[in-house]
Amino acid sequence: MPAFRPVAARRNLEPKTRLRVLLAALAVMMSAIVFGAAPAYAHVLPTSSVQLDVREDVIDATAKIPMDDLEAALGLDLGDQSAATVAGNAAAISAYLLQHFAPTSDDGQAWTVQLNGLGATEAGDTSTTGLYQELDATFTLTPPAGSDARSFNLGYSAVVDQVVTHVVLVSVDSGWSAGVVAPYAAGTIRLDTVSGQVTPLHMSLGQGNNVSGFLSMFVLGVQHIQEGTDHQLFLLTLLVPAPLIAGARRWARPAPVKKAVRRIAAITLAFTIGHSATLALGALGMPVPTGVIEASIAVSILIAAIHAIRPVFAGKEIFVAGFFGLVHGLAFSETLRGLDLTGPRLALSLLGFNLGIEAMQLTVVALVLPPLLVLASTGHYRRLRILAASAAGIAAVGWLAARLGLPNTVADLADNLGVMSLPVIALLWLGAATTLVRSCRRKRRSPAFVPDPAGSPAAVSST
Amino acid sequence: MSRRALLGGIPVAALFALAACSSNSTTSSGQASAPTTAATSATATPTGSAAASTAASGTVAKLAQAFQATLGSDLQAQLLQDYTLANAKLWSNLPQGLLGGGMAGGPMGGSTGARIGLSLGDLNAAQLQAFNALLKAATGSTSGLGYDEIQQHLNADDYLADNGGGNEYGRANYYIAFLGTPADSGTWEFQFGGHHLAVANTYVNGTLAGATPSFRGIEPNSSFQLNGTTNQPMAAKEAALAALLAGLSAEQLASAKLSKTYSDLLLGPGKDWAFPATQEGLKLSTLSVDQKKLALAAMAGYVNDISDAEAAAILKRYESEIDDTYLAYSGTAALTARNDYIRVDGPSVWIEFSMQRGIVLSGNHPHSVWRDRKTDYGGTKS
Repeated sequence: MPAFRPVAARRNLEPKTRLRVLLAALAVMMSAIVFGAAPAYAHVLPTSSVQLDVREDVIDATAKIPMDDLEAALGLDLGDQSAATVAGNAAAISAYLLQHFAPTSDDGQAWTVQLNGLGATEAGDTSTTGLYQELDATFTLTPPAGSDARSFNLGYSAVVDQVVTHVVLVSVDSGWSAGVVAPYAAGTIRLDTVSGQVTPLHMSLGQGNNVSGFLSMFVLGVQHIQEGTDHQLFLLTLLVPAPLIAGARRWARPAPVKKAVRRIAAITLAFTIGHSATLALGALGMPVPTGVIEASIAVSILIAAIHAIRPVFAGKEIFVAGFFGLVHGLAFSETLRGLDLTGPRLALSLLGFNLGIEAMQLTVVALVLPPLLVLASTGHYRRLRILAASAAGIAAVGWLAARLGLPNTVADLADNLGVMSLPVIALLWLGAATTLVRSCRRKRRSPAFVPDPAGSPAAVSST
Repeated sequence: MSRRALLGGIPVAALFALAACSSNSTTSSGQASAPTTAATSATATPTGSAAASTAASGTVAKLAQAFQATLGSDLQAQLLQDYTLANAKLWSNLPQGLLGGGMAGGPMGGSTGARIGLSLGDLNAAQLQAFNALLKAATGSTSGLGYDEIQQHLNADDYLADNGGGNEYGRANYYIAFLGTPADSGTWEFQFGGHHLAVANTYVNGTLAGATPSFRGIEPNSSFQLNGTTNQPMAAKEAALAALLAGLSAEQLASAKLSKTYSDLLLGPGKDWAFPATQEGLKLSTLSVDQKKLALAAMAGYVNDISDAEAAAILKRYESEIDDTYLAYSGTAALTARNDYIRVDGPSVWIEFSMQRGIVLSGNHPHSVWRDRKTDYGGTKS
C-alpha cells in the first residue's frame, strides 16, 4: 500500500481497524463472561462480513465476500478474481446478490435494496486464513415509508445458502442516535446443523435519542485525537519549549512555573478556538481541499519542531497555534462530513465532537505537561527538547513528502508513533519523579537553603 | 490507529490476565490431587481415595498411571485436569497458537479455548517412552492408522514448522491431558491433540465408552520425507473413502450427491451434539454386499484409530446399523479437489471429510472428523 494516504482514504481504513480490535475484544469478553474458560468455536475459513452504517433515513451496507465462496455459490468461475473480472461478470454477480439480500420490516414489507458498486480487494492473513481475494459490494437499504427502520429482518443469505459451512458476520458500523459510533458485532448468519436451515438474523438497532447521539459524538472526538498522531504531535511539539524563556536566538533558562502554565493554557486555548471555527465551517459544507490540508498539517509540525529547537516566533506562539488550529479543524471536519448529518443532529454532533477533541487534548496536556515543567528545570531538558523536536521534525518531513505524493518509510513509521506514547509518557513521569527526589535530597543536605513551600523545581535550580 | 489498537489492547490484556488467573486456579486444584495419584501409581496400592483405584495390568488406565508416575509434580499438575464437558470440548483443528488467547485469527478466527494439559515438548526420553506405550495401547496397531498414523502426523507438523509454519507448528505444540483420574473405576478421558489432531478416548469403569470426537486433518497431504522416513499420514483414510465412492454406480452416485457446497466440516470443533435431524444422501441398504464392505472399510479407516479389540466391537455396532446409514458427497468423487466432501451418517456413526486449500503450503489439505451420535464424549452431554 502506498504510504500516501489522504484524509478520506485514512478515514476509510479506520473503521476496519477499529472493527478488528472491537471484535477481538468482544470475543474475549464474551468468552470470559459467558463461558468462564472458553467457548469452542473455530474457523479459519474466510468468512463473509456485512457492515451496516445506519444513517438518518437509510442504511448503507457493505458486504465483503470471499471470492472462492462466491464462485461456489454462483457456480461461476471468476478466473483471477480481479476487479476487472468482477466488472466483467457484474450482471451475474449483481443479480445473485440482489436475490439474496432482501430486508423486510417486522410487518413483512420489503425494503428497497440498491446495489451501488462492486470491487475486489485482497484480504486475510498468512497465519490463519491465508491471503485471498474478496468481493466488496456496497448497498443502500431504504425502509418502506412508515415502517420502523430500526427493527427489521436483514434477509441476507448470499453464499451461506449454498456453501453451508460458510459464516456471515454482521456488524453495525454506526448508529448515530442510538449512541453507537464505534462498530459492534450484531450477529452471525449460519446454518443451524440440526434443522439444516439458515437462521435468519433480526436486527434491533435500539431506539435512538439525542443524548446518546451527542455522547457518541463526544467519544468519537476523543478517539479522533487518540488516533490522530499528527494532531497530537503538533500540539506537543508546540508545548515543548513553553516552559522556557526565549533568549536572543536560543532558548534560555526555564520560565517561572506560573508563567509557563499560563502560556501553555493560552496556546492550547488558541489551538482550540482555531480548530473549533473551521471544524464548524467544514462540517457545515465549506469545501475542504483535503490534500492541501493534510500537507499543511505536516508543515505545521515542522514549523513547531524548528521553533522548539530555536525560537523563531517566540512570544507569538498563540497566533501560530490559532492559525494552525484553523488548519487542523478543517481536517477534523472530514470525519463529521463522512456521517452525512444535517440540522439539529449536525449541531449536536459538532458540539459533542469538539468537546471530545478538547477533553482528549486536555488529557494529553495533563499527562505530558507536569513532567515537562519539572524536567525543564534540569540540565537534561535541552537534550530532551532537541531530541523530541528532531523526532517530530523528521516525522513531519516524512509526512509532508508522503502527502505530496512521495511514499516513504519515515511516514509509515510516523503513522505508528502512537505506539510509543504510553512508554514515553511513563519515562517522562519517571524522569520527573527522579528529578524531584534528587532536588529534595539536595535541599536537605544544604541547611543554608530556604525550602520553597511550593517546592517549585524552577526555583531549585535557577542558580 | 496503532495507538487505538494499543489502547484497545489494554482491556483485552486485562481479560487475558483474568483468564490466566482462572486457568491457574484449575491447575492448582489439579496440583492438589497430584501427590495422591502419584503415590498410587508408584506403589500400586490403593490409598484412601476411592477414585484412585488401581488398574488391571496392560490396560490403558494402567499405562496412563505408569506414564504419570514418570513425571515430576509440576508436569503432573499440568497433566491432570478435571473431568468436565467444558474441558473435553477443548480440542480443535487449529494450531495451539491460534486458540483462545492467540487472537491472531482472521475474521473471528479460532476463538476456541486453548488446549489444556502437558506439552509433548516437555517430556524427556523416558517420559516420552512411557507416553508412547500409552498412546499405542489407546490408538491401536493397524498400519497406516492409529499410532502409526499419529507418528506420521507429528512428523507432518514438524515438516510444516520447518517449511514456513514456524514455531506455532511442530510436535512440541501437541498436548496430553487426563480428564479425571485414570483408573478401572469411574470416568476419565485420555485427551491428546494439536494441530489437525484430536484423540478423545473416554473410559467408564475400565471400558472405552467413547472414542470420539476424533479429529484428523493433515498438511501436507501428499507424501513427504522427514529424517529419512516417508510419510503420508491420511493416505489410508482417503483411499478407503475414495474407494467407497468409486465403487458406486452412476445412479447411486447421483443419489448420494449433495446440492450444497461444503468448504469445511459441518460438525467441526465446538459443534457438539448438533447432529442433523434428517439424514441425507444414499441409503446404504441399497448397496450390494461388496459395496457394503467398501463402506465398512471406509468406517474402519477411522474406527481403527483405537485399540484393536475396542475397534472391532465398534465396527460390529456400525455394521449392524449399516442399512440405516447414509452416504453423501459433494464436489467430485475423487475427494482431491477443494470443497470435495463426503459424509457417512448412521444411527450412530458420523464421519465427515472435507478437502480445503492449503494454509502453510500450496496444495489442498483435508479435515475430517469421526463422531458418534450416541457415544461422543462417552455420552457426556452436559
